[in-house]
Amino acid sequence: MKKQIITMLSLLVAGTTLLAACSGSNEGSASDPGGSAGQSGSKVKLTGVIVKHPLTKPLAEMEWLQQIEEAAGVDIQWQEITADWGQKKGTMLASGDVPDLFVGPNVITDADFAQFKGLFQDMSELIEGAPNVQKMFEEKPETKQISTQRDGQIYGLAKYQRFWPDTVNRQYINQTWLDNLGLEMPTTWDELYDVLVAFKEKDANGNGDPNDEIPMDWSGGIGGFFNPAVLLGGMGIKLSSDVSGQGYFVEDGKVKNFLTDARYKELVMFLNKLYKAGLINPEVFTHDYTKLQAVARGEGDIAKVGFTWGWVASDRFGEQLAPQYASMSPLKSSSSYSGPVSWSYDSYTLNYGANNIVMSAKTKNKEAAMRFINELYKPEIGIQVLFGSIGPNIEDKGNGSYAVLPPKDAKMDPGTWKWTSTWADNGAFYISDSIDLTLGKDMQEVLTQSEPLKEALAQVDSQIDIYPGTFVKYTNEDNNAMSLNNTNIMNLANTTFAKWVTKGGIEAEWDAYVKESQKAGLDKNVEIMQKYYDEFVSKL
Amino acid sequence: MRTAAKLGTVKRDYQLWLMILPALATIFIFNYIPMYGVQLAFRDYDFSKGLTGGEWKGLFYFQQFIESYLFSDLMRNTFLISLATIIIGFPAPIILALVLNQIRRKAFKNMMQTTVYLPHFISVIVLVGMLNVLLSPETGIVGHLMKAIGLGHINLLASSNTFIPTYVISDIWQHCGWNSIIYLAALSSVDPQLYDSSKIDGANRWQTIRYIDFPALMPTIVILFILSMGGILSTGFEKIFLMQNALNLPVSEVIATYVYKMGIVSNQFSYASAIGLFNTLINFIFLYTMNAISRRVSDTSLF
Repeated sequence: MKKQIITMLSLLVAGTTLLAACSGSNEGSASDPGGSAGQSGSKVKLTGVIVKHPLTKPLAEMEWLQQIEEAAGVDIQWQEITADWGQKKGTMLASGDVPDLFVGPNVITDADFAQFKGLFQDMSELIEGAPNVQKMFEEKPETKQISTQRDGQIYGLAKYQRFWPDTVNRQYINQTWLDNLGLEMPTTWDELYDVLVAFKEKDANGNGDPNDEIPMDWSGGIGGFFNPAVLLGGMGIKLSSDVSGQGYFVEDGKVKNFLTDARYKELVMFLNKLYKAGLINPEVFTHDYTKLQAVARGEGDIAKVGFTWGWVASDRFGEQLAPQYASMSPLKSSSSYSGPVSWSYDSYTLNYGANNIVMSAKTKNKEAAMRFINELYKPEIGIQVLFGSIGPNIEDKGNGSYAVLPPKDAKMDPGTWKWTSTWADNGAFYISDSIDLTLGKDMQEVLTQSEPLKEALAQVDSQIDIYPGTFVKYTNEDNNAMSLNNTNIMNLANTTFAKWVTKGGIEAEWDAYVKESQKAGLDKNVEIMQKYYDEFVSKL
Repeated sequence: MRTAAKLGTVKRDYQLWLMILPALATIFIFNYIPMYGVQLAFRDYDFSKGLTGGEWKGLFYFQQFIESYLFSDLMRNTFLISLATIIIGFPAPIILALVLNQIRRKAFKNMMQTTVYLPHFISVIVLVGMLNVLLSPETGIVGHLMKAIGLGHINLLASSNTFIPTYVISDIWQHCGWNSIIYLAALSSVDPQLYDSSKIDGANRWQTIRYIDFPALMPTIVILFILSMGGILSTGFEKIFLMQNALNLPVSEVIATYVYKMGIVSNQFSYASAIGLFNTLINFIFLYTMNAISRRVSDTSLF
């Protein structure tokens, strides 16, 4: 017995040692066969990283990409990353073992350029060899502004995708349920409350079970996309998702943060009232995105969710249930509120992107890499990067006009098909305003479903009311200070928000919370951002 | 003189030294060489100049951490979770080993042992996934059971009151069986004659455990306890991180997860290494104190 155990133990020890030794070196080596093969017509070998959507098919199957690699005389070995880029990036950059090209939305941030000096290529001179990029800079000077650092270097190139609406968020209510119960479309928070109570208590979806309706749902948290922060528009706060993820907004020329604003307190109290009445999905702070999505898609024709936020109805509720939902206008906070109502204005975030393609300074054949980038920024390529190859995804109607085709698989919604077929919004590209493209059904749906928000968005003066987050370049020091403070601020905000919504207690804890937020650096960040906002406005 | 003697043992026992060489090399490469990166905690990390090139900042980052508004919360959470794991989790495998040792039917004993070992081999990710499924108040079996016995609608993973018990109990369930192996090994070294003579003297089962098994286990218990004290602030990162959500964050944010969020996610390398080093320092102090106490009290110690 004793012997057996000892043998077993020693085997185990040996086993774990081996495992430990192996797991120490799991970093894949990004081998660089070198740009030495650049001469005499043979293709230049490059390496690249792309941050793509999990649905996106392998890059090797994208026709447009093969064509431009051919045209640029390069052969790029892609590493395709679909998850946890934020975490992988840190280790990859710190090791210095980087590929020649990075592609993705803000794939390397300005903060990374500051932190990892000398790791990235300043493209400002190379751009001379890239007429398509130059053309973009001329036609859309904003893109040059977004790409250029304070000292004039260009480390990452912007993208421009033109067709996107003024906001990310749309607010949906189940119109069928309203009709079933004979209710009016709510226009204020109080009316919303009454409607949600009716959804909960009566059998709104008509399946005979009065308890399976979830009156309200979202993906947890505060700030960012598709969550209750947009209700702040009902008290006149003009959000913009560039910075509203951390609570910042601009009001009367002053940068503020709603996380310590009395109006936010009111919103949280309202949400707590909803939660106490059982109107919010009890798993709102714990479920993950797939579950959120699954719940909203209901069972067959039976919808489960009454009120929520999303990009388009067909994406949020699936093709089958989408017709049941109506896009709503912003809600006033109370019937006595007489000021303007607003909505999150995100046109900059949606139509422009910063640092969508970045080159490593270690790239051996920089001209070849730039040739590839130049091909990528061709207008006819741009639409293919966004919607898929001409042929399967886009129809070439001649005379320079194009149309996005419906999905080949009839069961798939057009949004999903786009993400499956190509780089989509994660790519780096330029779509010139002059190109003639008929959009697909999903984009037309977005534009139609944005209609109820038009009025609220029209009174936003995008130049003064919106913090120009997309255009601002911070100094290293400010960037570092802000990122540290924001981590702390959001840590505090997320936990207190969840607690206050589910358990209440905001009145008693508010003052202490505001003090904590200041300690976490909120005032300092507002001060820093005010400086940049003033600088930006003064140049208008 | 002594060095000469030591060299003598190397010569004499070279086979033993050869056998231990891979282990020594592993420890040196993975545990000693990285220590040189510790200086990052005292410098402003500058990528272009490497680990040693940044500007010297002294204790700046330590001060920043101690003055941070999260400091007291982080310390409290880390201590609470570690202490709870040690106080409740430490005796569990000892009790299990004593119980298993009393089982007479060999086949049954083997089956029991295998059953309690198995959870140890479930990966943390899968385990937390299982917890999420099982404990969900809407769909989980435990959620339904709790409702059935009248405990109501509790989401064990989403409350600051239930997070720590859930964490500790699931930890015990997972590792208790595995950790009992070492105690079983110690028990198997007890001379059977002792049991025989105790039976002749009329000892019952409880007395055999109390006077034979337990004293035999004592040195192992002390050593393992000292070792676990050294880990008091290094609570398992992965499991806590995976179990975190906005609702339990007030009690589940511990030093390890905060270091990750700062260092890897926010790229504050120097700050994160300062916090990490601070953490290690406290571990060391604990380990050292416990060792000293144990040496005085029971003559058993690590060093």
